[in-house]
Order: sequence, then structure tokens, then C-alpha cells
Amino acid sequence: MTVLKTSMRNFLAHKGRMALSAIAVLLSVAFVCGTLVFTDTMSTTFDKLFAATASDVTISSKDSSNTGETTSNTGKPPVMPGSVLSEVRKVEGVEDAEGTVFSTSVTVIDAEKKNLSPTSGAPTIVGSWNRTDARTMEITEGSAPKGAGQVMVDADTADKHGLKLGDEIRWITAVGTHSAKISGITDFTITNPGAALFYTDVPTAQRTLVGESDVYTSVNLTAAPGVSDEQLKQNVLAAIGGDYKVLTAKETADENQKDVEGFMSVMKYALLGFAGVAFLVGIFLIINTFSMLVAQRTREIGLMRAIGSSRKQVNRSVLIEALLLGVIGSVLGVGAGVGLAIGLMKIMSQIGMDLSTRDLTIAWTTPVVGLVLGVLVTVLAAYLPARRAGKISPMAALRDAGTPADAKAGWIRGLIGLVLTGAGGFALYLTSEADKASEGSLWLGLGVVLTLIGLVVIGPLLAGGVVRVLGAILLRIFGPIGRMAERNALRNPRRTGATASALMIGLALVACLSVVGSSMVASATEELDKSVGTDFIVMQDTGQPIPPQAVERVKSVSSLERVTEYKVHEVALGTPDGERVTGKDISAADPTYATDLRVETVQGDLADAYRPDSMSVPEKFAEDHGIRLGSTVDVAFDDGRTGELTVRAITTSDTVIDGGAMYTSIDTLAKYVPADKMPLDLMVLASAKDGQQEAAYKDLKAALSDYPQLKVRDQTDYKEALQDQIGQLLNMIYGLLALAIIVAILGVVNTLALSVVERTREIGLMRAIGLSRRQLRRMIRMESVVIALFGALLGLGLGMGWGASAQQLLALEGLKVLDIPWPTIIGVFIGSAFVGLFAALVPAFRAGRMNVLNAIATE
Amino acid sequence: MTSAVTIPRHGGTGSRTAVAARARQVVKAYGSGETRVVALDHVDVDIARGQFTAIMGPSGSGKSTLMHCLAGLDTVTSGKIYLDDTEITGLKDKKLTQLRRDRIGFIFQAFNLLPTLNALENITLPMDIAGRKPDKAWLERVVETVGLAGRLKHRPTQLSGGQQQRVAVARALAARPEIIFGDEPTGNLDSRAGAEVLGFLRRSVDELGQTIVMVTHDPVAASYADRVLYLADGRIVDEMLQPTAEQVLDRMKDFDARGRTS
Repeated sequence: MTVLKTSMRNFLAHKGRMALSAIAVLLSVAFVCGTLVFTDTMSTTFDKLFAATASDVTISSKDSSNTGETTSNTGKPPVMPGSVLSEVRKVEGVEDAEGTVFSTSVTVIDAEKKNLSPTSGAPTIVGSWNRTDARTMEITEGSAPKGAGQVMVDADTADKHGLKLGDEIRWITAVGTHSAKISGITDFTITNPGAALFYTDVPTAQRTLVGESDVYTSVNLTAAPGVSDEQLKQNVLAAIGGDYKVLTAKETADENQKDVEGFMSVMKYALLGFAGVAFLVGIFLIINTFSMLVAQRTREIGLMRAIGSSRKQVNRSVLIEALLLGVIGSVLGVGAGVGLAIGLMKIMSQIGMDLSTRDLTIAWTTPVVGLVLGVLVTVLAAYLPARRAGKISPMAALRDAGTPADAKAGWIRGLIGLVLTGAGGFALYLTSEADKASEGSLWLGLGVVLTLIGLVVIGPLLAGGVVRVLGAILLRIFGPIGRMAERNALRNPRRTGATASALMIGLALVACLSVVGSSMVASATEELDKSVGTDFIVMQDTGQPIPPQAVERVKSVSSLERVTEYKVHEVALGTPDGERVTGKDISAADPTYATDLRVETVQGDLADAYRPDSMSVPEKFAEDHGIRLGSTVDVAFDDGRTGELTVRAITTSDTVIDGGAMYTSIDTLAKYVPADKMPLDLMVLASAKDGQQEAAYKDLKAALSDYPQLKVRDQTDYKEALQDQIGQLLNMIYGLLALAIIVAILGVVNTLALSVVERTREIGLMRAIGLSRRQLRRMIRMESVVIALFGALLGLGLGMGWGASAQQLLALEGLKVLDIPWPTIIGVFIGSAFVGLFAALVPAFRAGRMNVLNAIATE
Repeated sequence: MTSAVTIPRHGGTGSRTAVAARARQVVKAYGSGETRVVALDHVDVDIARGQFTAIMGPSGSGKSTLMHCLAGLDTVTSGKIYLDDTEITGLKDKKLTQLRRDRIGFIFQAFNLLPTLNALENITLPMDIAGRKPDKAWLERVVETVGLAGRLKHRPTQLSGGQQQRVAVARALAARPEIIFGDEPTGNLDSRAGAEVLGFLRRSVDELGQTIVMVTHDPVAASYADRVLYLADGRIVDEMLQPTAEQVLDRMKDFDARGRTS
């Protein structure tokens, strides 16, 4: 009981000193809980959406995906004949049946040719307005669409793009471009996470999306009272046979859910990973806090021991304080996590993914996970300091405490650190020597972990040398103030080491990723320069196919010398080794593709692959399946016939662009695939006539001005786009790593603040003998800067090592160029100095404000 | 007797006044209303230049407060304090800090030295902070006077208590301040080490012409001074010139007795 009481009192007496540790726990727990709440809320939103929109039983074409998205390469949705509808109407247990037509292979633009598609990756759907839709939506303005000239749009999309009744919009499909005026606006009664929806009547949808009449993409059935969905499904299957896909409401919802779940779990685990890094950094902060509290309380603890407290009791009293800290930090963290989730939802709706707080889902596991994790981590982190507290001898009570310095980092520590770092370094070296990716990534993982632990262990020893060097370079200009700052940073190497380590972790990840990212850009750029022989690339960034009308427009540009079409089709391959390889894609292109993208061959001439009934395979595939030049492969074209194709070229696997592609000609593809199943072009490559590059660039853009979804890029644009893409990804990751870095900065603030408290008397003395406030503040800032730079140096060095090793490993996958982004690295290093300055703001201010007399009188 | 203004304002030699520091009608009170405690009650005092002055008195008499006020470490409630001809009451923190740095030396009872700096660095710290070069010859003389020549590279933790206080004395002397304030500088030392430190202070007055003000409750320490001021209840109640330990002790007992009977 007394132990608990002392712990409580101590905790309350030092609550100021605990505050920053509590914030670190709070932030980490908040991030974990926020992630869980956010992803759960997303799940709920989709659950509700799918449950509400699914009919009792849905019939669709065998070719359609389970989730109803029309991903077919033909640019048209898979359809069923209208007879299905009349047949199922007669089936027993059907109360109502209606046919619908919808497609996601559309681009919708407004009168100014602005793309109305969501930017979040959510689908754009044009379809017929049905009773099923009317169940979850209500028309808020105007009326339902009638006839070819009318379209209805969902309220969110209308809001976002300022669409009004009577506005003209156009949708572009493989059939052509159709325009209509807005007749109505309709709003979801549940949350629509972001799809853009456009409704027409059934005949218009049939004509503009499929180009046929009396066809449906799906038939929605409502069961008669007393008939279960499953019963109805069986009845339908019995009536129309197994030629169609028949799903109950539950099955449809489950399939849809499965589809989004993949994306959501990737997001969830990525976010949790970053939360984990923040926790790791927080551990250093907590260890430091408790070490310092114990050190400052040495005399007090000595007294407790002298009057009879056992080691265990002292030990336990510190752990109980940690427990209190963990509980308070975690409870606040859980609360903050919910707030964070709501904030995240707001941000997501900014980029087009609408989530409503109505659906806010807090599973009972969320607070439990947050609390358990927060408390456990805090108590574990406090374990070492608590043990140290237990070891304090009763004699400490009698000694004149002064400012305790921790024991000099011993040589055993140094040895362990060196061995670990060395082993880690060796593992990283092995990474670069590995010939197999799987083996290499194992070494890389091992190397990363070992070097990280090694540097953390050896950090206090390195602090001595590195801080002295930094001091010699940076601090000497500030004379005695700089010298005192340097000495202060050096006086507790363990503390400086731990504080810097916390910063090191975040910055190492930043450096590593920036090296990998810029190596990716550099490698791709080099590859582009080497292999691309065309001037312009036309494609859609969503990866959707190019409407045939647009291809015609490209071909009509007179300043172009040649235009190459590129398609992809799914095939199954019967190889000479007797195996059947399914689910492969074959790239079908015009023969000029061999000039537009120069892929090196190991054997044969790539141009020959475009001869009739010919193809190329990549080296690795050839090796795996016993294919040699001249071998024949049975190619079963999806939706088409099987052809016997001769392998006339074997391409190198050593390429980033089109890595692993098999090539054949469009003519060969057309021979085996019926015209209505031919895929649309995924990409069109165009080369200008000599000396007309600039004109062609302009002409091409002008020719495609009606198709804003298509991007025309010359090589410079393409490289820029690539760089932007990687840059965006990196920025997102940096943003998430910011959390870990913020916790590390809190760590620096914490160390300084506690050091200032610890050195109260010293500061009082210096002020008494004439150190000005400004000099005092500068001294603390200098100390902070040196600690931050030390952390940055370790982190950036480590991260560059990791990054270089990762690049060596990825070189196997074509990432051949190592590019170290010096501006970023140097920027981060200089930025760290500012982080140091920033971290010292409050501690320096408080030190400056100290009353000199009180400070001197402090025990 | 609330005044100790017994020294002529101007000495016969030099341009400086013979008074190093003056307090005029200084009042220091804490709190207000019923809880108001008066630590200094209209004190007038002159500190003679080139003399060793001791301030004595029972606990709570205000002796430390008087020293803190004279040294510019603490503010006064009313009254004026001059260092030489500079009025320091009312100075802003920045000026006060500069004044302490350039014109005043300190020796505290304990914790006088920065643990991160060695003895020499501690001694030259006030000049380093000011960005001034120490006077080499003077520094050597000071170091020799306090007998630290062999220990200049030692850190405070490697020095005994007496040695640490000697470093503090050297630091106070090294910058040639107009006045040195000592707050029980021998309070933590055994009698031998204490005698050593007091001997150095005495010598620095005699040989170097230093002005020293020291707060103490030890009659033996006070006997090293040229003049002893007695404080009680925030007032100066007596003074003694060229004291001996016995005289001081007798006077203290006298006060104690009076205090008890009144």
C-alpha cells in the first residue's frame, strides 16, 4: 500500500516531467486506434452500401466480375440477351424482375471537357435508372431520365462539379460519345463512399454503353413473400441453367466486401506499421524519462532503502509510476484516436472518398488493443530504469548528490554494439551479393534489424566522438558557450545516445526510402533513354482502354510518321514441357512496337515475333518451360480459339519496362479472337515525322481534346510523370513517418527539459556569476542542435546504407542505378539542426526564466 | 542603531570612492497584509573599499537577504543600493547580469563549480562569458595565491571540498571584481580547510587590495574580517572593528541573551 502511495505521490509531484512521455504514449496509441477506427468505419460504410444496393438475387453474364465492375478490355460490359429477363419472370417465387445495363468503362465529361470522374480511384458508373436504385436513392431535384437526351446525376458529383439541371454532359465509351442534359439530381440515403453515378433510361444505356438493344448487364430479382433468396436462386438456376452467374444478396455483398477488403487491409497494416515505428521511438523517450527521474531521485531512493524499503519495493514503485503513465497516456490516446479517425475521414473526403461520422465504428477491441499496447510498452520501457533504481544503495542517501552522471558506457557495451553492427553490415553486404531476391531480402531484413540494434547499443560510445567533432566544427565559433553546450551533451552519453537514437530511427527510414525512390527514378529514366524509340505515349492513367474513335483521331494526325497500337489479352499457354500456364497476359502490338520500345533479345530478332503466328517469350519463362527458338506454344486465347504460335525471339528478363512481356502481332491476335471480343488499345505510341516533333505534339493534343482522360506525353513528360508518381508516394510515406519524427522531437524536448531541471543549481550559479539569459538560452539550444545532428548523422548514414543495399537487391528486378539524392539528404541534415533549435525553444525559455536565487538554493 | 554609515565617503587616494557599495533605507518584504514578513527594515550600510566585511546574525536576521540585495541577485522593496556610483536598484536583468559578470565576484557555500569544466575553465568562466581575455600575470598570481597550480586540469569531482572552495575563491578573484560576496563560503568545510580558504580571502584583501563581503554565522570566520556588522530582525544592531573570535562570540551570546529576555 505504501509503495502505491509513494508511487502516486511521486507521479503527481513530477507530472510535469511525465507530460511529454504521456504525449508520446498518447500519440502512438492514438495512431493505432485511429487506424482501427478508420478502417472499421470504412468497412461499415461499404457493408451498408453493398447490403443496401444488392437485390435479393442478381443474374449476370458469366464473364462479368463478381463485383459487377466491368473490367473487360473490350471497353464494353459483358451482357446477356434480353430473353433471360422474360424467362426468369416466369420462374416461381419471382415477385419482380428488372433488367439493368451499366458500365464502369466510361469517361464522363462536362461541357468544358472537364473530367467528372472521381480522383480517389472510386468508379465512374453510367447505368440505367432502376427500381433497385430507387430503394437507396431519392430524387432531390428534377425528375428521372427519359429518352436519349436526359441523364440524372448523383448529388455528391453534382456538388463537387457545380452541375445544375439542364447542364449538358457527355460520356465517352467504346461505342462513341453521347451527350445529354441533366434532368434530375439524386441523393443516396446511405453513405456513398465516392463513386460518381450517372443514370439514363434503359434503351439509352443499352445503346450508348453496349451499342446493342435488348441486352442487359444484370437482372435484379425480388423474391415473393415467403421465398428465401437461396430458394429463389435455386429456382432460377433450374430454369435458365448454369450459363449465367446467379448470386443472392448476401453473396453479392460478400463478393463486393472481399474486393474492397484487400485494399483496406493493405492500408490498415501499412498504417499500423507506421504506428509501430512511433511506438519504437516512444520507447526511447520513456526509457530516458524514467532513467532521469530515477537519477534525480537517487538520494530520495537511498533514503527509502536506508529506512527499510526492499529493492523489490523500490523497483515496483517505479514500475507502478510507469503503469500510471501508460494508463493515462493510453486512455487519452484512445480518445485522441477516435478524433484522429474523424480527421482522417475529413481528409479522405477532401480527396473524394466520402465517409460519414454516422457510420463511425468503434469495435470493442479497439480501446482494448490501444490500452494493452500502450500500458505494456510503457511498463516494458520503464523496466530497465526501475531495475537500476532498485540497485541504488542506501549509502546514496548520505552522499552529497550534486548532479549524478551515469556510469561511463562500458567496453562490454561497445563490444556488443560493434559485433551487432558488424554482423548487420555483413548481412547488408550479403544482400548486395545475393542472386536470388528471396535470399537477398532475408539478408536485408536481418541487416536492417542488426545494424539498427547495433547502433542503438553503440550510440552512447559514438556520442563521445561524434559530438566532439560536431562541437569542433559548429560550436567553437560560439566560444565558451559552445564549449559548455558540448560538454553538457557529452556528460550523459547514454542519455544523449538514447535521445539521438529515437531521431535516428525515423530519419534512417526517410533516408532509405529516398535512396530507393530516387534510384527507381534514375533507373527508369536510364532505361527509358536506352530503350524508348517513340516520341509520344498516349494512355489513360487509370489503365483503362482507349476508345477506338480516339485511336482514329491519333491516326489522322498528319505530322505523325507512325502510330503503334498496343493491346493486352489474357491467354493460357501449353508449353513444350507439357505444362499449362494459365492467367498470363500476351502483349499484342503493331510490328513497329519493336522499334518504339527496344527490348534486347537473347536469341532471335524481336521483329520476327510480329510475323504471322509468331511470338516472343522472356528468357526466364523460356528457361522454366524448356522453350527454345523455333519451339511452338499452344496459345489458348481467352474468349477465342487456340493457336499454335512459333517462338521467334527470346527477350532478356533484365528490363524494367515491360518486364516479362510476351509479344505477338495484333494480326495474329485478330486471327484467333472474334472481332467483338478484341481488346481495345491500352496504349498508343506515336512518332513524329522528322523535324516536326513540336508540331506533332500540338496536333496530337488538339486531336485528342475531346478525350480529356487520355494523356499525351512526350518522353520528358513521361519521365516527369514517373518522378511525380514516385515523389507522391514518398511524400505520403514521409508524412506518415512524420509521426515517428514528432515523437523523436518530443524526446529531445523531454531530455532537455529534464536536464534543465536537473541542472537548476548549475544554471543558477552561472546566472549569478554573469551568464546572461540570452547566453543561457543559446547554450541549451546548442546542446539540442548537437544532439539532433548526432541523431541525423547516425540516421542518415544508416538509412543510406539500407537504401543502397535495397537497391542492390532490387537490381535483380531491374533497379540498376544507385542514385543518392544528396539534396534531400543534406536538406534533412540541415533540417535536423532546426529541429534541434525548435526542440530547445521551451526548455531554453524556462531555463532563462528561472529565478537565480531559488535556483542556487535548490537542493 | 540601524545604520552602519561610519566610513567617510571619499578616501584620500585614487579616483574611486572609498565606499565600494552602499545601501540606503533598504526594505525587503515578502508577502502582503497579515502575512507580510520584513526581512530588511530600512537598512543603511556602507561597504568600505579594500576591506573585509563580515555580516553576522542569527538565522532569519536578514543577513543573506542583505548580501543578495547588495550583490544584485535579489530586488528590494524600497530604498536604493549603489555599487560604487552606479545605482543598481531598478536595473533591468540584462544590466544586472552584466554588472554581476564584470564587477562582482561570488563564492557560495556549496556547488560553486560547473562539473563539466575543469578547475582552470571554472576560474576563467566569468571572463569567458564576457568574451574577455584573462590577464595572464594576474591569473598566475591568483592561482599561486590559492595554491592550485598543480590542479588546474582537474574536474571538480576530482577535488576535495576545500580545494573546490579555493577554486571558487580563485574564480572570484580572477576577474578583478570591485567586490566579492561570499555566502558562508566555509560553511561546508572542516576547520582546517575553512581556515585555509579564509586565509586566502584575508591575503587577497591585504595583498591584492580586494573588497570582500562575507555572510557567516561562525565567529572564527568573522574574526578574519576588518569589520563585523550584526543584523537582527532586519536591522543592523551593532558593529565591531578588528574583531577577535572571542569578542565576536561574546557579542553573539550577548545578543542571544537579549533576544531571550526581551
